[in-house]
Amino acid sequence: MTAAQRWCSAAWLVFVVASIAVVARTTFTTDISAFLPRSPTPEQRILVEQLREGVVSRLVLIGIEGGSPEALARASKQMAAELRKHETFVSVDNGDDAGSAGDREFLWRNRYLLSSAVTPERFSAPALRERLEENLRLLGSPAGALVRRIVPSDPSGELLQILERFEGQARPATRDGVWFSRDSRRALLLAQTRAAGYDIDAQERSLALVRSAFAQAGAGDAKLLLSGPGVFSVSTRASIRHDAMRFSLIATALIAGLLLAIYRSPRLLGLGLLPIGSGAVAGIAAVSLGFGAVHGITLGFGVTLIGECVDYAIYLFTQAAPGVAPQRALDRIWPTLRLGVLTSICGFSAMLFSGFSGLAQLGLFSITGLVVAVAVTRWVLPAWLPPRFTAPVVASIGPWVTAVVRRAPVLRYPLLLGVALVAVMLAAHKGPLWSDDLASLSPVSRADQMLDQQMRRDIGAPDVRFLVVIHAQEEETALQASEAIGEMLRRASLAGLLEGYDSPSDYFPSRQSQLARQRALPAAEELRANLGRALQGLPFRPQVFEPFLKDAAAAKRMPLIDRGSLQRTRFALRLDTLLVPRESGWVAMLPLREVKDAAGVARDISAPPGARAVLLDLKHESDQLYRTYRAEALTYSLLGAAAIVLLLFASLRSPRRVFDVLAPLAAAVLATTGLLSLGGHPLSIFHLVGLLLVVAIGSNYSLFFDRQAPSGSDRERTIVSLLFANATSVIGFGLLAFSRVPVLHDIGMTVATGTILTLAFSAILGRRDGRA
Amino acid sequence: MIFGGSRTLLLLLLFATAAVADEPAGWDMTRLMQDLAQVKIAKGRFVERKYLGILTAPLESSGTLIYIAPSRLEKHTLTPHDESLVLEGDRLTIESQQTKRRRTLLLQDYPVIWMFVESIRSTLAGDRALLQRFYEITLEGEERKWRLVLKPIDPKMQELISEIRIGGSHSRIDSIEFFESGGDRSVMTITRDVP
Repeated sequence: MTAAQRWCSAAWLVFVVASIAVVARTTFTTDISAFLPRSPTPEQRILVEQLREGVVSRLVLIGIEGGSPEALARASKQMAAELRKHETFVSVDNGDDAGSAGDREFLWRNRYLLSSAVTPERFSAPALRERLEENLRLLGSPAGALVRRIVPSDPSGELLQILERFEGQARPATRDGVWFSRDSRRALLLAQTRAAGYDIDAQERSLALVRSAFAQAGAGDAKLLLSGPGVFSVSTRASIRHDAMRFSLIATALIAGLLLAIYRSPRLLGLGLLPIGSGAVAGIAAVSLGFGAVHGITLGFGVTLIGECVDYAIYLFTQAAPGVAPQRALDRIWPTLRLGVLTSICGFSAMLFSGFSGLAQLGLFSITGLVVAVAVTRWVLPAWLPPRFTAPVVASIGPWVTAVVRRAPVLRYPLLLGVALVAVMLAAHKGPLWSDDLASLSPVSRADQMLDQQMRRDIGAPDVRFLVVIHAQEEETALQASEAIGEMLRRASLAGLLEGYDSPSDYFPSRQSQLARQRALPAAEELRANLGRALQGLPFRPQVFEPFLKDAAAAKRMPLIDRGSLQRTRFALRLDTLLVPRESGWVAMLPLREVKDAAGVARDISAPPGARAVLLDLKHESDQLYRTYRAEALTYSLLGAAAIVLLLFASLRSPRRVFDVLAPLAAAVLATTGLLSLGGHPLSIFHLVGLLLVVAIGSNYSLFFDRQAPSGSDRERTIVSLLFANATSVIGFGLLAFSRVPVLHDIGMTVATGTILTLAFSAILGRRDGRA
Repeated sequence: MIFGGSRTLLLLLLFATAAVADEPAGWDMTRLMQDLAQVKIAKGRFVERKYLGILTAPLESSGTLIYIAPSRLEKHTLTPHDESLVLEGDRLTIESQQTKRRRTLLLQDYPVIWMFVESIRSTLAGDRALLQRFYEITLEGEERKWRLVLKPIDPKMQELISEIRIGGSHSRIDSIEFFESGGDRSVMTITRDVP
């Protein structure tokens, strides 16, 4: 070992120790929103924020099924009672009275502040007379038994007025006093955790409580179903952890087995794993320093790096010729190897600029890993290799592989024909080739998404498509704007443009409206006189309406409704969803029901001064969001490809050679796209990224095929080394194809297929002359 | 001794039930329910008077009642206001000519209303099992003039209704009285429609 080599080894050791120190202090996240696009518009940012920490992210939908309705109802009541004991949950609802009693109390007590019908005219003698006659009619009707009790306290019908506003809202079915799905097969509960949705550890603890409450409820054979954002984050983290761990272990074992089989030396096995280990540690450290935290999926992707980094060691080991020092062998292939690494970096850097912070992490991780792995291979490994090392396997399989490669060009025309066919097929592809659905990126399985949708429908928390979003500086201004726009929406619904809407001011009217309603109530004596005149000739007993006079007088002086007043009600949850504080002020959201003419509704609404309002179509926005990111991914991929072409021109300085290197790559990308779309599933952004990686990794193969080989045996070694390198890539990426996490699965599938094709196509399209 | 004693009791009980079941001509709840179940269609006029504590005079309404076995019940109020209430399976539709409004409720969503309407419908259908799910039933009188007294079991229903009395003769119902917990009551008398 020379002095220079010693210095190199020492520097490497220091670097690895430093990287390990960084990794040891790294935080690891599994936040799904890293794989949701960073949002470009304020409206979309609200959505992503809500997904991360809004009330919506704190909901746990709980279902109990598999038993008689009576048994399920009993279990539901017991679970709710048990969960309500814990501070972990802000609320636990199952439709029993524990929740709705608070709601009724709130609406009843505050009816004069809540009812939008409260105006000075409403309490004049003629108006009261009209209401009293209506009460008589109601008392005689089938609803009589229900209204009789409230008439003495509420002859003007404010409670009915308020309840009618809520009538259109979806409501879960009830049975035996608790919420059930319509078919009575599933009892339903809705819990809200105190912790935000992105706090996965806290979510996991909450879910453990739910499970133990279910076990205690002793529901026999009944099954517990859980859904909601927290449930998804917890299970996604578990599956990412599981996949990352399992695939890393399997890939390492397989690749180690392969190395051992090829080189028959434990020492070489250890040396072969050195670049991988160094690269992985450096990659994690770089992401940690660059992003502040490392996403679980980035780690999962580390598996692929194993397949990629081990290639460099394989090139070195396999290229060592008998009687030549390893350093010399390396010097010979170094220009090609360097160009290969540079093209890979060009490919990965496209990911670095991606709008998904998750993909950007993968890019940084891969680039750092590759650079470190190749540096270790170049400057550290040769010093540790036995001086007269040569791989015996080359001699045994070399001639056979070379024979195959020599005959491969026979397939040149069939291949060109095949690729042309695929191109025609893709051009004539029916249906969308690329998915337009943001859900295709979600790590949540389709079955779980279906269950979630069904439980949401049953529980009356359906996904909203249209909502009016109002921005304002102050909470009060936002509420006033909600009231003004609510009135416009009410008129639009009378015109048939929509069915109805929900508004934060239904639960929490602006101070301005509350004060106006208090002022609208006449003074006690005046009201008594008005009522007396209104009652003349009607069969009501005198004194019956004393409770009304008392309540109205009290309402005139009562404290206004604030957020605290809602605390013991289920409206608190609703209000927290609809009225949200932001750094720059307040946002009020008015979800619309059954919109028939979105353009018409958009025309009809306008915000009062001091507020801004837009009609948001969530479906359109999320599709738009996805299309933007796909276009962005495509642009960066094309830029990456362009950078690779430029790099090849700069290095090879021959259009003919650049064409020779690129032709197999282009053919492989086309063929891979064709194969993937055969399955009939639209391709996602992750497939696109996978194709980019095919170019980044595959370019190494075609470069080595294109390299001038000084001798026949040298060429033989090159081809064998490529075969092994490809085998390890396929092992690394191929394993990912078994992952349940879409990003890992899609990329793994694409790259495994693409790299095999690139190697085969490089052999087929390779030139017959002196080059390999 | 204990075993011996309880066995004697059990035997006695068996004999007693056998005796009741064997009585051939005896008219009882089972017979009444069977007779009521025979009726496939029934129509009548009704007059309903509500005696409410808050009013000085009773509220009177009248109209027609139609029952079609097994699960359809229609109550059309004609005076003082045109209003109809149609119960079909598990759906209750309320329609008012005056307010031009129509509402359909799913009974399982409104347990109290369900119990309420089921007192009449299940009696008409002779569905004793369903009646007993919601009410404690006693039968008074004889075949020519009988009266079923229904007392709600559910606490929520008890808050609203203390007792329902349904009177009739043979397989025909001629009066329904609701006694509300607050002291109010309504009396509906039904006369057979002369076709």
